[in-house]
Amino acid sequence: MSDGNGQKPQIQEGVSEDMELPEEDGFDLGRLRLSQDFHNLAGVKKALMTIPVRRPDRQDFVRVRSGEGWYLETVVLEDSVDRETYLVDPLLRSELVGEVIPKVLYTTINRQGILFLWPIRLPGEDGRLNDWSKSALEAAEMAKTRWIRLIANRALGAYDVYNPVGNLPEPEWPGVSFQEVIRIAFRDKLISRMDHPVLRRLRGAT
Amino acid sequence: MIRVGSKEFREVWLADFEFTALPGERPDPVCLVAWEMGSGRRLQVWRDELLEMRRPPYSIAQDSLFVCFYASAEMSCHLSLGWPMPMNVLDLYAEFRNLTNGLTLPSGNGLLGALIWFGLGGIEAAEKETMRNLVLRGGPWTPQERTAILEYCKSDVKSLSKLLVKMVPNLDIDRALLRGRYMEAAARIEDQGIPIDTVALNKLRRHWDGIQDHLIGKIDIEYQVFERRIFKVDRFTDWLVKSSIPWPRLDTGRLDLTEDTFREMARIHPRVSLLHELRVALSQMRLSDLVVGRDGRNRCMLSAFRSRTGRNQPSNSKFVFGPSVWLRGLIRPEPDCGLAYIDWAQQEFGIAAALSEDPCMIEAYESGDPYLAFAKHAKAVPPDASKETHPSEREQFKACVLAVQYGMGEKSLACRIHQSIPYARELLRLHRETYPKFWRWSNGIVDYAMVHGKLWTTFGWNVHISQGANPRFLQNFPMQANGSEMLRIACFRGTEQGIKICAPVHDAILIEAPCDELEEKISATQKVMADASAIVLNGFRLRSEAKIVRYPERYMDERGLKMWQTVWSIIEDLHPSSSNELTSLEPERLCNFSCAESHTRSILLYT
Repeated sequence: MSDGNGQKPQIQEGVSEDMELPEEDGFDLGRLRLSQDFHNLAGVKKALMTIPVRRPDRQDFVRVRSGEGWYLETVVLEDSVDRETYLVDPLLRSELVGEVIPKVLYTTINRQGILFLWPIRLPGEDGRLNDWSKSALEAAEMAKTRWIRLIANRALGAYDVYNPVGNLPEPEWPGVSFQEVIRIAFRDKLISRMDHPVLRRLRGAT
Repeated sequence: MIRVGSKEFREVWLADFEFTALPGERPDPVCLVAWEMGSGRRLQVWRDELLEMRRPPYSIAQDSLFVCFYASAEMSCHLSLGWPMPMNVLDLYAEFRNLTNGLTLPSGNGLLGALIWFGLGGIEAAEKETMRNLVLRGGPWTPQERTAILEYCKSDVKSLSKLLVKMVPNLDIDRALLRGRYMEAAARIEDQGIPIDTVALNKLRRHWDGIQDHLIGKIDIEYQVFERRIFKVDRFTDWLVKSSIPWPRLDTGRLDLTEDTFREMARIHPRVSLLHELRVALSQMRLSDLVVGRDGRNRCMLSAFRSRTGRNQPSNSKFVFGPSVWLRGLIRPEPDCGLAYIDWAQQEFGIAAALSEDPCMIEAYESGDPYLAFAKHAKAVPPDASKETHPSEREQFKACVLAVQYGMGEKSLACRIHQSIPYARELLRLHRETYPKFWRWSNGIVDYAMVHGKLWTTFGWNVHISQGANPRFLQNFPMQANGSEMLRIACFRGTEQGIKICAPVHDAILIEAPCDELEEKISATQKVMADASAIVLNGFRLRSEAKIVRYPERYMDERGLKMWQTVWSIIEDLHPSSSNELTSLEPERLCNFSCAESHTRSILLYT
C-alpha cells in the first residue's frame, strides 16, 4: 500500500511497554498496525500571518512565555485614532520624546492557541509607575508559570488576577523565533522615518 | 514456492463455486473449478462428487493460498459441504474494493468491473447473466447445460488468474489475509443467521396490508400530518411549531425530510420516533423482502467492505437490523437458548482518544462517563458531580461530544440541545480547549487527505479522497473505519473460537448460545472485543456492554417498542386471538447483568 506520494505509510513498530496486547494466533497483528498520526504525516504547518499587539481579553486565560529571549523592552507609539501600537526605530526616539512610551512586550498565548504580544508600560524617566501597570507586570510574571485571567478593577485602579481552579495543560507554543514574532506583529507598524504617515498626521501635516 | 506480494506459498489455488441459494437459505453448491498456479493442476468437480467429499480437493494448509472473488460465497459453500476453511484466503473483491475505494468505477466493483478496470477482457455481462440464471434456475441440468455451467465457472477462474497477476504488484498481502480471514467469519455469520419468531412474522405478513390505514389512524392522532396515506409537509410544519421542535432545513429553505435527518431527529426528540417508524414502515418496509430460511433464520449477505469506511452494508429490507427498528421485536432465541447484543461503549470517543493520544480525552474515556468527564474538565460542573446531580449539564456535554464526532457546527448543536447559537459555540470552544491534542490530530486528518488524496486505517483499509470531499467525512473516517477494523478482528477471532455470532451490527455483535452457556460466551465475546480494540488502538482497551435476551423473551429496541405495541394492538382489534402473547409487551422485568470489562447496565426484557 502506498500513500499519495507513492511512499509506504509508517508502520508503528512494537507497542509501548505499559500496554498489553493480546496474543495472536498465527499473526502478529500488532506488527501490521499502520500509523494514524496524520497530523505529523501531513507535513502541513500553520502559517503565522498575524500577531496582535494587545492586552489579554478579559475572558481569556493566558500564559506568558518565560525565558530571556521572549520579551522586548522598547518604546512604542500608541495611535489613539486607529488604536494601533507602532514600534519605533531607536534612532528616532530622541526626536519623539513625549510621544513614545517605554513598554515591555511579552510573548503571550491564550487557551485557543492565539499568540499575541502583551504590551505593559515600564517606568518613565521619573521612575514612576501607576497601579494598573504595576499589577499588569506582576500578572505577567505570574503568567510565566500558570494560566491567569486579567480583569480590570476600576474601583481598585488595578487589575485583578484570576487563576483556574484545576490544572490546565501547558500551552503549546508555535515554532517561530521571537525575532519572527516581532517581525510579523510589526510588519506594517514600524516607524523608521520621520515622514511616516502616522507621525505626519500627529503633527498635523497633510 | 510461489511469491504473492511479500509472502511465499507452496501452492496457490484459484477457485470458484457455482451455487444456488434460495432467499434465507444456505448456498447449495452446483460445481467447483480450481486451478493451482504453480503446478498448473486443474480441477472441475460437479455437485454429486462435491457432496461426497469430506475435505476440499485442494490444499488449505498454512503454506497454501486460496484465491477467489467475494470469498464469503466460496466459504459459505465450504460450510454447506462441511469442509474446513482454508488457512489463507485472498479475496480479490475485498482487495479491489480497497484499491479503488472512493473512486468512481466505470463498471462497478464486481468481477467484470475489476477486469475492465485493469483493461482485461472477460466474459460479456449479458452472457454472464444468462449463465448465472441457468445456475440459479436449479437442477436438473441437461449434460449440455452442465458442460456450459462448468465452462462458465472455468472462465471465472481464468479471469481470476488474470486479475491476480494484475493486482499482485499493489497487494499488501499481510493485511489482505486479514480481510480474507474476515470473509471466512462473514460466511460463518451468514451461515448462523438470526433467529426469527416466524409465527409472529407470518401473522404480520398476513395482516400487514390490511392494517396500514389503521396504523396511520392510530399513530397520526398524535401528529395529524397524514391525509389518507399522504404525508403533508405543511401539517408537519405546524406540528413542529406546536411542539417547539426546531427542524433542519435544506439550502432551499424547505424542511429536510430525508431518512437520515428523520432518524437523527428521532434520536434527539423521542416524540418524533413513532412518526419516523410509521414513515419507514409505509415507504420502505416490505415484509416480504425480509429473508428468512426454512429454519427460521434471517440470513442475508452481509455485504462486507461495501461502505467507504469498510463497514458491512447489508440490504436494508432483507436484514432484520434494517431501518425499521420495531421489526427487531421479531428476533427471538430458540427454546433453551439466549441472545446477547454486545456493543462497545462509546466506541467513537474511545477510538478518537486513543488515536489522537489526547491525555484528557483518554482520562475521560477511562472515567467510564466521558460526557460528565468533559463537563468536569471544562469546569462546568464540580469535580464530584454525577449523572444524578447534574443530568442536564451531562446531556448538553454529551450532545457536544456527539456533535464533534458527527462534525456538526454550532447551528446544528444549538438546534439539538435547544439552546442559543452562542451557547453552542461556547460548548464547542470548550471542547477545543479541553481536547487540544485531539483537535490538532483531527485537523491533521483533513490536511493529510487534501494534500495527499488518501487516508487509511490501522490495518490498511484505504479511501481515495476527491477534491470536493466533505471534511466531516474525513474527520470521522478514522473513527468509523477503525471501528470497522475492530469489528472485523472481533468477528474472525470470535468465530474461530467457536462463538456463534448471528450478526455484526455497526459497533455491536449479536451472539447466540444455549442458556446455560450464555454468560460464559458473553464473557468470551467481551474479551475478544476488548482484545480487538487493543489490537487496533495500540493497547488501549474499549469497554463493552451486553444486552441479554433469553427464550421466551424477544429482542426489542426501545425506539421501536411503541410501534410494535401499536401494530399488534391493531391486529388484535381486527383479528382477536390472532396476536395472543404478542400484545403483552410491557417490560416484564429488569435484569442486571455484569461482566468483566463491562459496566453493569439495566436491561429491558420483553416477552
